[in-house]
Formats: sequence, structure tokens, C-alpha cells
Amino acid sequence: MPEDNKYTQYYEVKKGDSLSKIAEQYYGDKMLYPRIFEANKDILKDPNKIQPGQKLRIP
Amino acid sequence: MKTIRKSLLLAALASVALVVGCSSMKEPATKAIADAEATLATVRDDAAKYLPNDLQGVDASMADLKAKLQAGDYKGIMAAVPELTTKLTALKDAAVAKKAEMEAAIEKAKGEWTALAADLPGMVGALESRVSALSASKKLPRGMDAAKLDSAKAGLAAAKSAWEAASAAFTAGNAIDAVAKAQEAKAKGGEAMAALGMTAAK
Repeated sequence: MPEDNKYTQYYEVKKGDSLSKIAEQYYGDKMLYPRIFEANKDILKDPNKIQPGQKLRIP
Repeated sequence: MKTIRKSLLLAALASVALVVGCSSMKEPATKAIADAEATLATVRDDAAKYLPNDLQGVDASMADLKAKLQAGDYKGIMAAVPELTTKLTALKDAAVAKKAEMEAAIEKAKGEWTALAADLPGMVGALESRVSALSASKKLPRGMDAAKLDSAKAGLAAAKSAWEAASAAFTAGNAIDAVAKAQEAKAKGGEAMAALGMTAAK
């Protein structure tokens, strides 16, 4: 996982969000959610469990 | 007849006096050229590096004096030496000033390079991962179209190319060129980020 820097892009999870929904928002494709999961493995253990307020990296 | 002999004698004496006078100027003329050459030698490297045109002018003056020496025009040499001395002094002062200016610019560039070298890889990495994801996507997200993505890809390629050139210039010891290329890379990367709707933290 690359180190965070000022160019790292983040998204703050809101109520009702899922990784696939976020993947669709940023990439246009729900099926690319594993990219977001892989980039946040230090804070996510399960791609189906994200919490409002979490700041996720969006690679 | 007596008058003619007297005139011839006077002419001969005048010629001798001229020859003796000119010969007496040979030594100072030769020394003046040697001194000027010695002074020029101390400044030649810096002048060649920072003020090549000015050096060319002084070299031309020096060549002119040497031609005069070959021709035995010692008086001409002595007359021209003050101007050459002035040119040499000006060349030396200007070379010293230019060298100091360049050294300060290099130090400033090294400082800028440190910041850019810490910054650019993060920018390129962020762009690469986003372009990779979008390229793998079956359809583009809202607000993004193929033209924007193509523009971002071109910007990323230009940024990477400029960054490689910057790194090579810095490795070669040219900090000023390195910073110019790195700034070009940052500008291209900034354009690509804007096309993708990405922002950098302050």
C-alpha cells in the first residue's frame, strides 16, 4: 500500500454507502470496489462492513 | 655638398634614434602582453563558462597585440595596453559576479528540487492509480467522458516524461534544468488531476 501524501484522494463514508456504490461514483463501475478495499486494508477487514465517518482512500 | 652631407648625417642619426627608441619599448611591450595573458589565464575558465562573447572580444584584442608584437609595433602595443587592461578588469569583475549569481541560483534550485522531488512521485502515483481504475471501468462515472480521460492520460504521460528528464538532469548535476523540468511535470500533472476531478491537499 503506497504511503499517503497530499495527492491521496479520500472519501468520507456516509450512511447507506457501500464500497460498490463508492466505486460506481468514482469509477463508473461497481465491480471495481476491490480496488478501494485493497487501498484501505489497514482500516477495513471486510469489504461489506464500512462505517459512516470512515475516511477511505480512493486510488 | 657640405649641406647634403650634413642632411644625410642628420637623417642617419634620426633613424638610429628611432630604432633605439623602438627597441627600448620592446621589453615593456613584451612584458605588457605577458602580464595581460597571465591575467586572462586566471579568469579564462569562468569567462568561457559565463561570458563567452566578452571573452571572445578580449581574445581578439590579445591577438591584435600579438600581431603588433610580431610586426615590431611596440608603440602601438603600449598605446593599446590601457584599453586591454580595462577590458580585462571588466571581464574579470563580470565573471566573478556572474559566477556568484549562478552559484546562488544553483543553491536555490537545489532547495526547490528537494521539495519537488518529495512532491512529484506522490502526484504521479495518484494519477496512475486513478487512470488505471478508470481504464478498467466498463463505463465512466458521471461527469467524466472519454475525452477527459484521454486528456488525463496524455497529461500523465507528459508529466512522467518531464519527471524522468528532470531526474536525469539532476543526476547529471544540472539542478536549474532539473527544477524547470520538474515544474513542467507538476504543471502537466496538475492539468491531468483537474481533468479527473482530483484535488491536492493544501
